[in-house]
Amino acid sequence: MNKPDQPVLELRGVSKQYAGGVEAVRDVSLTLHAGKLLALTGTSGCGKTSLLKLINRLEEPSGGSVVYEGLDVRQSDAFRLRRQIGWVMQGDGLFPHFTVRQNIGVVPRLLEWDAATIELRVRELMQLVQLDVDAFAERYPHELSGGQRQRVGVARALAGKPDLVLMDEAFSALDPLTRDDLQRDFKRLQTELGFSAVLVTHDMAEALILADEIAVMRDGEIVQSGSPAELMANPVDDYVSGLLDTPRRQMRAIAELGG
Amino acid sequence: MNSNLAERLNELPDLLSGHVLLSLAAITVGLAISLPLGIFAAPRKRFASAVLNIAGVIQTIPGLALLALMVPLLGGSIGYAPAFMALMLYSILPILRNTVVGLQGVDAGVVEAARGLGLTHGQRLWQVELPLALPVIVAGIRTSIVWVVGAATLATPVGAPSLGNYIFAGLQTRNWLSVLFGCLFAAGLAVLLDQLIRLLEVAARDRRKALAIQVSAILTVVILVSILPRFIDFAPPAQPNSPQQVASVRAGEGALRGETVRLGAKAFTEQYILAELMEDVLNTAGADVERLDNLGSTIAFDALRNNEIDAYVDYTGTIWATVMNRDQAINRHAMFVQIAAYLHEEYGILTLGRLGFENAYGFAMRRDQAEALGISSLADLATHANALEVGGDAEVFTRSEWINTRDAYGLAAMSTRAMDATFMYDAVRDGQVDVISAYTTDGRIAAYDLQVLADPQGILPPYDAIILLSPEAAARPGLADALAGLVGAISDTDMREANRLTDLERETPEQAAQWLFGEITE
Repeated sequence: MNKPDQPVLELRGVSKQYAGGVEAVRDVSLTLHAGKLLALTGTSGCGKTSLLKLINRLEEPSGGSVVYEGLDVRQSDAFRLRRQIGWVMQGDGLFPHFTVRQNIGVVPRLLEWDAATIELRVRELMQLVQLDVDAFAERYPHELSGGQRQRVGVARALAGKPDLVLMDEAFSALDPLTRDDLQRDFKRLQTELGFSAVLVTHDMAEALILADEIAVMRDGEIVQSGSPAELMANPVDDYVSGLLDTPRRQMRAIAELGG
Repeated sequence: MNSNLAERLNELPDLLSGHVLLSLAAITVGLAISLPLGIFAAPRKRFASAVLNIAGVIQTIPGLALLALMVPLLGGSIGYAPAFMALMLYSILPILRNTVVGLQGVDAGVVEAARGLGLTHGQRLWQVELPLALPVIVAGIRTSIVWVVGAATLATPVGAPSLGNYIFAGLQTRNWLSVLFGCLFAAGLAVLLDQLIRLLEVAARDRRKALAIQVSAILTVVILVSILPRFIDFAPPAQPNSPQQVASVRAGEGALRGETVRLGAKAFTEQYILAELMEDVLNTAGADVERLDNLGSTIAFDALRNNEIDAYVDYTGTIWATVMNRDQAINRHAMFVQIAAYLHEEYGILTLGRLGFENAYGFAMRRDQAEALGISSLADLATHANALEVGGDAEVFTRSEWINTRDAYGLAAMSTRAMDATFMYDAVRDGQVDVISAYTTDGRIAAYDLQVLADPQGILPPYDAIILLSPEAAARPGLADALAGLVGAISDTDMREANRLTDLERETPEQAAQWLFGEITE
């Protein structure tokens, strides 16, 4: 049913105005093709997280439409939609009273898979995110390191075999080494499994490394979107080039060291 | 084992079962109300603070007052209903508050994760929010249990038997073993239930099925064993009465066989003794007797009016002032006739007759102090009024007896101090107050060498003890006849002696009643 050229996700003139009158998202249009990773970036409060939440109906748009696999999301049941779309959140959001096994198995259980299938899936995912099944399956989140918790978070998001994964600052709270590890593992998983992803991050370097396409937001609007190379080559204004400055400077400094 | 301890242990099955049943019913219903209400209120900030405020106001009402208020609110009925209602209301706040706080305190990130993964509202509540809030909610349930089990001792004055019977009766008869007994069992019960619930929570948290099963089993056994006497009668067969009973009380022997008579008693020594005496007489007539002791003064009358008790002893002056709202005393014989007519016309209550003695309010002071100050009557008090303090039970200072006396003899300058009637005799003996509103039949007046001050203007109303029968009891053949033998049978001296035996010689009201029984059947 998913035609090869049909985009996984299309945002058509989407807006979000909150009850207090704050306009978090203004007339945003974006397209995400199968197997691609889109990064939403910009300074704090630019509306990138709000935009992400409009996709799986954690928030409802006040204007425009969100089309997932050819269907306006408002036509599907919100709970069923969220089970189809993977979700990794900032600070892992693991259930503290569930073991690693139970956390990863949440969505398959909601999808009413049988117990044996769930068990197989949990083991498969733990291997994919490089967590030893015997050592970790029965542990509780508080018994894990930050990196291990985020790996469980990623495994939990992928457990229901989603075509699309939404990630809200999934790696931001980790130390640089762990973050680098996880980023590379995630990129590998995405290539292997072929799912699409939308990644919200305030870290432009992360966006440049992981994304096929980057959308830069300011005050709820898309300022510029394009591939990492396009952005590096032609930033449209000072805001975008400012965001690119830090990774650029770091690259130059490192290059000089290498001589 | 001494007889006091044996008596107390004998009462235990009945009182403990009443206590546990009452507390348990209150907490169960309280939980069934407060838990869903808390779940509903938690996401609704305004509503939550509104219901928490209401529950908080209920909580600030002192327990005894809340229990007492339930009697008129429930149309004057006494016993389990008002006690249950008050305790149930009492149990709500801790559970409600902790449910709201516990649910609101669940990490917002975890709740958002649950939403983002596609849990429905119900799944979120049952799988995530309630399990995470559980320790806080259980803490609320435990607080509630401790409060309710403690406050259930206050059910005694509204006519629901509880471990409070030990405390109230012990306080009135200065039986400290009884008070201690009530405290220890009530506290022990609260601690036991609290700890068992805590263990249940530990078992739930650590998923220890074996522990959960063990604790549930213990809890079930504790509850079943304690409430069993409510459903199975373990009482030994009634002991045959002593052979020294004579014709006047024997007249109706066997006439009430198979009938049950409910006797009430207010919360002081003389009432316990008289209730025991009536019980002896009724047992002789073959009736089974149920007792409701420690009733508040007006609660006893309401219970009789509503046929919840069949008979009790009241005093003419009390009925005159609190039921008929008359504030000028009249001649004691005229008063008795008017009261009998009034109660019969208004309520269908039968005033069986006067027992023969009078237990009036009389103002008393230490004889040596009275002589030193040259005081022999209430009129002499006026000149010393601003230097003297008068002690009395909680109700006397709001009643016309004190107000009229104060106004008639110019005693407004006297300071007043309310205390439990049990303590006032010792207080005046030890000089902590100068004058007390004594009961004239109390054995301590003579024992402590107190002088009852004369009432030259006849302000204090007469207090003839009278047996009252409820409208239904009045219609029962044989009941009035069985009790009629007591009319005119008890002299002031006999009553004072029986009170003295209990208050000062540490005999039980049962023993004092037997002595009295012996006196009147001689």
